[in-house]
Amino acid sequence: MIQKNEAVVEKYSKATRILHHIHTAAFIILFLTGLVLFIPQLGFLAQDSWTRILHRIAAAIFIVAPLIYLILKPKAAIEALKEAFTWGKEDIGWLKAAPRYYFLSDEEGMPPQGHMNTGQKLWWFIVVVFGAFIALTGAVMWFLKTIAPAAVLQWMVFAHDVAFIVMGAMLFVHVYLGVIHPMMTEAWRAISKGTMSEEYAKSHHGLWYDKQMKKDNEKGK
Amino acid sequence: MADKAILYDATRCTACRGCQAICKEWNENDEIIPTKQNGVKSENRGSNENPKDLAPNTWLKITFNELEHYGKVDWLFNRRACMHCTDAACVKVCPSGALYKDEAYGITGFNKDLCTGCGYCVEFCPFDVPRLEGSTILGKTKMSKCVLCTQPSLNRLDAGYEPACVKTCPTDALLFDDREKLIAIAKGKVAALQAKGFTNATFYGEKELGGLHVMYVLNDTPDKYGLPVDPKFPATATAWQDIIQPLGWAVGGLTILGLALNYIIAREAKMTKAIPGKKEKK
Amino acid sequence: MTNHWNDIANSDCILVMGGNPAENHPASFGHIMTAKDRGGTLIHVDPRFTRTSAKADIYAPLRSGTDIAFLGGMIKYIIDDIEKNPGNYNMTYITEYTTSPYLVNPGYKGPAELDGLFSGYAGGLNETDAAKRTYAKSTWAYVNDDAGIPKKDKTLKDPNCVFQLMKKQYARYTPEMVAKTCGTPQKTFLEVCRSFTATGKTGKAGNILYAMGTTQHTVGTQNIRAYAIIQLLLANIGIAGGGIQAMRGESNVQGSTDFGLLYNVLTSYLKQIVNTDTTLQKYMDRITPTTKDPNSANWWGNTPKYVVSLLKSWYGANATADNEFGFHYLPKPHTGKNYSHIALFEAMETGTIKGLTVWGQNPAVGGPNANQERKALEKLEWLVAADLWQTETANFWRRPGVDPASINTEVFLLPALNSYEKEGSVTNSGRWIQWRYKAGDGPGEAHDDLWMMDKIFKKVKELYTKEGGPGAEAITKMDWDYGDEHPDVHKVAKEINGYDLTTGKLMSSFASLKSDGTTSCGAWVYCGSYTEAGNQMARRDPTPDTYNIGLYPKWAYAWPLNRRIVYNRASVDLDGVPWDKEHPVIWWKDGKWTGDVADGGFPPINVDPKATRWPFIMTAEGHARLFGSGMAEGPFPEHYEPWESPVKNPLSKQQFNPAIKVWRAAEQGTVDKYPIIGCTYRVTEHWQAGQMTRNLSWLVEMQPEPFVEMSEELAEDKGVKNGSRVIVESARGSVNMVALVTKRLKPFLIDGKTVHEVGMVWHFGYIGLAAGDSANLLTPHVGDANTMIPEYKAFLVNVRKA
Repeated sequence: MIQKNEAVVEKYSKATRILHHIHTAAFIILFLTGLVLFIPQLGFLAQDSWTRILHRIAAAIFIVAPLIYLILKPKAAIEALKEAFTWGKEDIGWLKAAPRYYFLSDEEGMPPQGHMNTGQKLWWFIVVVFGAFIALTGAVMWFLKTIAPAAVLQWMVFAHDVAFIVMGAMLFVHVYLGVIHPMMTEAWRAISKGTMSEEYAKSHHGLWYDKQMKKDNEKGK
Repeated sequence: MADKAILYDATRCTACRGCQAICKEWNENDEIIPTKQNGVKSENRGSNENPKDLAPNTWLKITFNELEHYGKVDWLFNRRACMHCTDAACVKVCPSGALYKDEAYGITGFNKDLCTGCGYCVEFCPFDVPRLEGSTILGKTKMSKCVLCTQPSLNRLDAGYEPACVKTCPTDALLFDDREKLIAIAKGKVAALQAKGFTNATFYGEKELGGLHVMYVLNDTPDKYGLPVDPKFPATATAWQDIIQPLGWAVGGLTILGLALNYIIAREAKMTKAIPGKKEKK
Repeated sequence: MTNHWNDIANSDCILVMGGNPAENHPASFGHIMTAKDRGGTLIHVDPRFTRTSAKADIYAPLRSGTDIAFLGGMIKYIIDDIEKNPGNYNMTYITEYTTSPYLVNPGYKGPAELDGLFSGYAGGLNETDAAKRTYAKSTWAYVNDDAGIPKKDKTLKDPNCVFQLMKKQYARYTPEMVAKTCGTPQKTFLEVCRSFTATGKTGKAGNILYAMGTTQHTVGTQNIRAYAIIQLLLANIGIAGGGIQAMRGESNVQGSTDFGLLYNVLTSYLKQIVNTDTTLQKYMDRITPTTKDPNSANWWGNTPKYVVSLLKSWYGANATADNEFGFHYLPKPHTGKNYSHIALFEAMETGTIKGLTVWGQNPAVGGPNANQERKALEKLEWLVAADLWQTETANFWRRPGVDPASINTEVFLLPALNSYEKEGSVTNSGRWIQWRYKAGDGPGEAHDDLWMMDKIFKKVKELYTKEGGPGAEAITKMDWDYGDEHPDVHKVAKEINGYDLTTGKLMSSFASLKSDGTTSCGAWVYCGSYTEAGNQMARRDPTPDTYNIGLYPKWAYAWPLNRRIVYNRASVDLDGVPWDKEHPVIWWKDGKWTGDVADGGFPPINVDPKATRWPFIMTAEGHARLFGSGMAEGPFPEHYEPWESPVKNPLSKQQFNPAIKVWRAAEQGTVDKYPIIGCTYRVTEHWQAGQMTRNLSWLVEMQPEPFVEMSEELAEDKGVKNGSRVIVESARGSVNMVALVTKRLKPFLIDGKTVHEVGMVWHFGYIGLAAGDSANLLTPHVGDANTMIPEYKAFLVNVRKA
């Protein structure tokens, strides 16, 4: 699909992509090793504790990787966080237009989006807030097992599970939208190669594209 | 087969702790017992009671409790071990089927091989009985608890014997029989105690958690013996297992279903819009 | 035991005193609980609230060493009540079966008149001259009629009759006095009296269970005499559920006593030979009691038969009438010389004893004044220890604080087998001799005692034969033939049972033993245990007895003659009908006894007044002795304070037992330095000196360290926290232990003053998986006036924070 000499823009830096992949891998491991405990028939996989050890290694990576990114690329990280948690009228517009957009490929009502569209902002919300929450409850179960009161641990198990369900379901959505959804033709390319076509950028991240162009032009002067 | 059970008559127990010792010996939980020589010294903590708590290698321990009641000093002994609840929270939360209700005896069986060491049973047990062996920090653990002498190759019940603790009891403070028979015996004992002036004498375990398979005859209220007065199946276990987990499956299932549906619709829509799409591209 | 373990279940009231069966005889407690199930009452009298107290219906605290004050108070209560309500008592039993109506020499004076002493004392009050601390017993005698038979007053009114003399002595033991002496609340004391005395009623059975808390005192033997008086006045001896039970601490300690473990007896309680017994006849005359009462069986009158049969068993063909059956081969201890535990260790210290064999014993932990005893071992040239594990005694030369290079004793440790690794008999407290089989092989080079004894004997015999020496014939002439390889334990058992030497057949009863050398028997009370019909001890037939009172007569064998309850002819009335028809021990029916093996087998008094014999066949009187003239310190038990006591004797001016031997007067602690009573005891989890239990990790985990129990009040006084370390010290040593502060111990209120008592376990030492100080570093070298059993239960200590 990608044509030679096609006009491209850089969507994700190399560092960002590495972080994404590591985080994704960790999350999938966490998801699968956690899922084992959800399905009694798969319980045997966990019997010698190796899934727990894997889960904990993945958990450490899941928590530490973004922190390393934060240290190495503080500007980009803070910018991204800022964008993810800053909502404007285009987001309201996105929410209104999203059903038609995603089901009927109707792009008409979709207002131009920034570097992150609202859907991605929502995903960020899930990753950051639920991620912190699941990490915290997990840490209690890891380090305070048999030390914390049983009632606290009971609630930790409960809360960890709720977070797991939400994050797990949203992971499906994220992967689906990024890789499978018919409209999202270049999302995968963006996160794997870092670039996307100007065309795609214009249509899916109009605001950002415009801003980017403006910046380039200013640089060009 | 009728449910089996143990009846512990605290008023007959002399705390000789033959049961505590034989439990370790029979179940081969005696490989590492703290002594000065192996570096994990056992200490007298100002009590006859030792070790301090149930542990992976201490499935049964006798507690000593000094108090004043009925107008005089008394020394109450109690047996701490798995209660083998009918409504066993541990079985409910066990993710791997390692814990199960034994159909033959009604006890709470445990297949250690299947144990993932998650420790949910530890947290959800209303009697604080299961213990984790190994390091919870490193994560390589297994749970350990009384299985009423039904370990493979050490299975006394299948061989037609009573559990080792019952066998060793010199005063018949421990009885092992059909649960129904023991309930009748226990009621008689409690009535006799009450007639003797122990007005708070209690029969514990008949109804608790759907009926325990270790039941107690006490000369006072359960709290005096360190037993929970009204043990409940933890609400969190119900909420988690009966609401959240099915909900989780529903959410997961519906999400995938929704996405699939979306894919079909969106693909169809995209196809039909292919022409205007082209126009736009111009 | 007069009765046996199972029989405890028949009791209506059980008095446990100076014992702790829940902890130290765990298996016995099943029978106690059965008695309770049947409506019986359990009373526990003890300085400490123990696991037994926790199961008791009545717990009465008493200050250590004041048992006689308590029991004397009970005797007074009973005597007063007998006079008030004779209908509540079995008066026939009291007047016909006991010595209560016997008249005593009018010259006899008791403590009521002599301020704590009895007539005939060589010294004065609190005599310090050892030579004068003894009684001439001429006034402690009955008044005989012309036929030489003691006179009686069956109305019990004569002021010189035993009953009235008792009444006079115990009149001083009022409930107030008991409370003041023992620290037992009066209310509790009277509750005990009421409950136990109720068993005086015909058809009711009261039982007394005791152990070392009774015996290990300077007045230990008199404590038991007091039990006997109570049980006789309540008609509780000989009946089912009655009697006095010595709960023996070790599975076979009854057996070892039966076989002459004690220095003052040969096997089967034949009195020890002494150097003044210049001929066999003289010896037998000295030890054989006589009576002129034609109705007294005087069973000990058979002594010559047992002595000669024993000599035949020892010396076989070498024992002939001509050489007085080898009597002169035997070593003869010096009369008046003491060979008890304490005396042996004192003799070791002075170098008199040069070699020692300790067989399954650990005196470095278990002996009193253990510091002294450990030091005494250093004087030995050689020491042989046989045990399952390394013991403190075998390792005394490298105990903490000692330079092994400075000790020249040569020590041998013989690894022994435990009871499951060898075959043989075990005699329990209830005199049941039970055969045990070997269950498995022992480790390494360990051998059983019999094998070791056989090898040592043969070697010693070889040396004596070659080299000779003093008393060589005692060994060289001995008949010793149990096989060349492993000695045959059945041969030993048969020899103990005895043979008819004319036929070569095994004896079936000691009634057929003879004094002419035609029978042999290694222990006359065991005669009948291994007969031509087979090994009676190996019987395992659980058929109940005729009257179903739990005798199990076909299970193993009980000495004597498979009698399960001794003195059982006192369980029936003069017509041979049981007092308690619900629990008949024996019953005279159709001209013979049914039920248990009747004591002596003679017909009931009313059935055949001529052929009958009084029921207590083991006394020369034929009646049970309330007046014990054979005792060292008086015919009736009198309360004396322990050798070390914080209390002035409230009952008399005589402070402590006037007849005890004081070994180390300088080591007597004083109240100003040591104001607290110390008491030692055992716990379920450990056994004796600990060599068997301190090496078992299961038990070590449960009871890892020595501890001292004290009241919350004393702990507060001394600033001691529960679980912290404290130093307990006496005039003889000090120990470091964990403080176990408990509300189960309360200070005693003695005559308005607070007296504290602490209890210490003594199982610990410096070898094994669990180490720590033995409480016996504190205990004194002083013992009972009759038996020399050491005083382990009452002495003075002080406590401070470590």
